[in-house]
Amino acid sequence: MISIQLILLIIFGLAAIWFGWRVFMTSSMVRSALSLLGSMVAIGILFLVMEAEFLGVLQIMMMGTEMSIMAIFMMMYMMDPGGLGNMDMSHQKKISIAAGVVVTVLIVGVALFADWGTIVTQVPTPHEQNRMLGMEILKRSMMIFETAGVTILTGMIASIAVALSIKKQR
Amino acid sequence: MTPFLSGFMITLLFVGGVYFVAVLERCSMTGNVSWSGPARSFLLLFAQEEIKTRKHDKVFFETAPILFIGVILLTISILPFGRGSVIIDLGTGALFINAALVYVMVSLLMAGWAVNGVYAMIGGWRALAQLIAYSMPVVMVLTATVMRAESMFLTDIVESQQSLWNILYQPVGFILFYISALAITFLPPFDLPVAEGELAGGVWADLTGARKLLFRLGRLALVLTLSVAVVVLYLGGWMGPWLPGFVWTFLKTLLVAASFFAVGHFIPRIRHDHLLEYNWKYGVPLALYNIFQVGVVLLL
Repeated sequence: MISIQLILLIIFGLAAIWFGWRVFMTSSMVRSALSLLGSMVAIGILFLVMEAEFLGVLQIMMMGTEMSIMAIFMMMYMMDPGGLGNMDMSHQKKISIAAGVVVTVLIVGVALFADWGTIVTQVPTPHEQNRMLGMEILKRSMMIFETAGVTILTGMIASIAVALSIKKQR
Repeated sequence: MTPFLSGFMITLLFVGGVYFVAVLERCSMTGNVSWSGPARSFLLLFAQEEIKTRKHDKVFFETAPILFIGVILLTISILPFGRGSVIIDLGTGALFINAALVYVMVSLLMAGWAVNGVYAMIGGWRALAQLIAYSMPVVMVLTATVMRAESMFLTDIVESQQSLWNILYQPVGFILFYISALAITFLPPFDLPVAEGELAGGVWADLTGARKLLFRLGRLALVLTLSVAVVVLYLGGWMGPWLPGFVWTFLKTLLVAASFFAVGHFIPRIRHDHLLEYNWKYGVPLALYNIFQVGVVLLL
């Protein structure tokens, strides 16, 4: 059955893929970062279309901040003041293509063959969804989230430590 | 009052509020109260020639002003002006405020980078660093208000302040939100992205005509929107005796907006490194402390 929901899902799914493709086709880091943001926002809208309000809003908020942080870090590390210069956004092309194909096959395989359970007919209200998500994060999935959080923090500290100048301060 | 009439009144009051904020902004800069000044500026920008810089990025150049004003209008639509007077009562309202404000910084970066000019570009990157820094405490203090209300509905957050307003219940959160609101609206003393003296207008340096008008108008609406947010989250929203709820919301909002400009009038522009240092070293830990304190009080 084709509903408005399905049409929107297809449109924003395609938009996410198109923005994802633009990430590598532009010649500027800023355009690339904002294309990636466009792709992530399209995924956030997919959540909203599927009536997962909290996840949608969270995705749109987090990705806005994260892509901005990524853009500003790229500016700080690159030899390109302000990102106004041209730059090829693709590298190691053969390995990248191979990795892309393998991951796509894996994802499609999971999507087709995983047991997704029964599709719910009655979506919980946004308020109820928030509560259930909180329970999930603080009970069953707590270890996963805590591990991911600490890993990301370690990565951030390590990247800044590596970038620090080893010269003595004048 | 019928819903239609109260909706009409609220729209009228909001538009009037934006005009009043424009008068306040002018007053904080020049020291004179000029009631016709904003109207003259509006007409001037409306009729001004559109100048496009050489080799600008067309997509960002055209998108940035619309994105800027668009996200602010989205934020207004979820803020409650009175009991039942809210356009969209979102189940994730508190989170949505921050989600929308994040795109203010994205649009400023786009505008700064797109014109292909040095001043605007520096302004854009400054805006990004400033707004990333100050959106961190915002989301943390919002969490503390949500903890008390046990709901992300903004109407529930207002109702939770029935016994005691959040400004007294979580004063640290209020101070952090107030300062962050000043930084997000890039008002003085946080006006680094558009600093007149050092960057000749920064992000707005090369914009003219309708695009600049959209940014200026958007910023005024942003000031008013964040003032409403302060009122909703910390000053009891529509609560008050005798007068209708939305009148109280607007009275409080205008007071908050006036206090924003008063702060900017008396405090000199902060240095960029200080601005980031104060926030990351003191603002973020204090926001975490605020969550802890509210949690302890809730459990007692």
